[in-house]
Amino acid sequence: MMELLEVKNLSKHYKSFDLRDISFTLPKGYIMGYVGANGSGKTTTLNLITGILKSTEGEVYIDGLSCEKDMRAYKEKIGYVGDESYFPEHLKIKHIRGMLKDFYGTFSVEKFDSYIRNWNLPENKLIKDFSRGMKVMLMFASVLARDTKLLVLDEATNGLDPVMRTEVMKLLQEYVMDGERSVIFSTHILSDLEQIADYIYFIHGGRTVLYDAKDELIENFLLVKGESEKIPPALEKELIGLEKNAYGFEAILPSDKAELLGSAFLFEKPTIDQIVIHYIKNKGEQ
Amino acid sequence: MRAISFMKIDYVLTRKQMYFMPVFFVLAWVVGTGVTEGAMSLLVTCSYMFFVASIFSTAPFGYCVGKNRGFLLLLPATVKERVAGRFLYGLSFVALLGVLCAALWGVYALTGYELPLWTVAIGLCELAAGILLMALEFLFFYLFGEGKENWQYLSNIVRVAPGMAMFFAVNAFVGEIQDMTPAGTSVDLEAFAGKFMQAGVAAVAASLLLTAAAAAVCVKVIEKRDYA
Amino acid sequence: MKIIISNQSELPIYAQIREQLKEQILNGQIPEGETLPSIRQLAKEVGVSVITTTRAYSELEAEGFIATMQGKGSVVLPTDNNLLREQYLLRIEEGLSTAIETAKTMGMSNKELTDIFHNLLET
Repeated sequence: MMELLEVKNLSKHYKSFDLRDISFTLPKGYIMGYVGANGSGKTTTLNLITGILKSTEGEVYIDGLSCEKDMRAYKEKIGYVGDESYFPEHLKIKHIRGMLKDFYGTFSVEKFDSYIRNWNLPENKLIKDFSRGMKVMLMFASVLARDTKLLVLDEATNGLDPVMRTEVMKLLQEYVMDGERSVIFSTHILSDLEQIADYIYFIHGGRTVLYDAKDELIENFLLVKGESEKIPPALEKELIGLEKNAYGFEAILPSDKAELLGSAFLFEKPTIDQIVIHYIKNKGEQ
Repeated sequence: MRAISFMKIDYVLTRKQMYFMPVFFVLAWVVGTGVTEGAMSLLVTCSYMFFVASIFSTAPFGYCVGKNRGFLLLLPATVKERVAGRFLYGLSFVALLGVLCAALWGVYALTGYELPLWTVAIGLCELAAGILLMALEFLFFYLFGEGKENWQYLSNIVRVAPGMAMFFAVNAFVGEIQDMTPAGTSVDLEAFAGKFMQAGVAAVAASLLLTAAAAAVCVKVIEKRDYA
Repeated sequence: MKIIISNQSELPIYAQIREQLKEQILNGQIPEGETLPSIRQLAKEVGVSVITTTRAYSELEAEGFIATMQGKGSVVLPTDNNLLREQYLLRIEEGLSTAIETAKTMGMSNKELTDIFHNLLET
């Protein structure tokens, strides 16, 4: 089977928030960026995938397994890293090591210890006294020291400095290297991670906005700039997230509408961030 | 097996409070001997210890709140195993304090105190009550407070009140018995000792069954819940 | 083999990789018969997505620069001289057309333009 992660019509209803109809597949050996503003439903989706939330509708399969039917095997396949510690805070590294040994058949103490050493994680401190970066790296150590198929990263690099972010980027690429394992990471800042993502899933207000291979997404849009007064009505209709200031405008335009541009405007290849920002602005206006 | 591992986790989480148990044990003995002496004082000491057990057996709930339990929720195990592990922790914790009490009975017996069989039976009833209190508190925590933050106030009442009630009940009971007994004579309950013992053993057995039932209810409830 | 990715470039990343590899194959820096790093290896080294490098390789394959064999990886094919010539011709034409277009926008006559051309040739 080529698909490692299958998400089908996933929905979760809350009183104040709805996540609706999320569907995608992630093939083995690829990385997906799950993108959206704060409160758009990223964490909810990832928690539904790891199985700690129960969906109102829809299904999730990892390597063909569902959480309801094969809870244990399903959870063995997942490695989760969050934005801050998810460990009970009054523990030390030795306690975590013991728990991992008890619960995961594939856990390697040697690997775990070598990560702990390489990242200078303090053996004798309580986790609550770790820095945020240390907590995140401890999560990585506990996940990478065993055999998993899917890495789920929820804003995991938020608290990391640029050097560590680069290290994590390399880790993720090594993780998918053998073509058998995949990564899904959520984030609201793309920057460095944008480069290594193969797919982008973009949600806003609990709804899907865009979902495509990242390279396609970048090619499908143009970042257009120019003088606001010169925008013809035919073009204005097609512009996404039109943002005017005193001296000009900036917006996103689907590439297939490029002929509307003429020569009056500047256009260039957008970043994913720019596409996302203009889409969010567009949704805000509707 | 996973249930045992979960029980281990609870002991690791609450490892600090184990240091206090010997202190409470001495305190319980002091309280017992302060009220009265001999077998009667042991009953008071035991009731104090089970009071302590009913408070501290629920400690793991306080360590598994909010984000900090993510790791535990993601462990590859079923809800059944996790809940069973928690109940095993509770049972073994009460049993541990029970063993301490039993050891004290042994010491008293060896040093020549007269320990009528019916007081042993009452001791068993106290153990049964200790287990039952633990099970009921666990049920309450699972149904209403599991994983919730800022639940400290209510949870403390739930943890303390029932055990305290038991402690005072036993105190009053011991007082009653002594009032009924003229000084210098021993209580003539030995005639019923056999029945008392049967009742004590039955009470312990019943409390274990009820604990199992409470655990089963918790599994059913938690399985349907988010963050489980 | 060298690959330098620029985020400022107008070319998408896969095209930057494709062009740089093509260049090095054409000028012999990557000799014929050499095995290129695997798609995943390259993605990791350069720090780009697997889909991006996959696309660069498959376009190089379509243009006849490399051949991918199951289990053996991608091997650089002999560049036939005609192909090489064609590639260079194309690039010369592109460069000249840009110059001509610019000249037209500013209304320069053909004579003036060819004069510049000859002057540049002689320097």
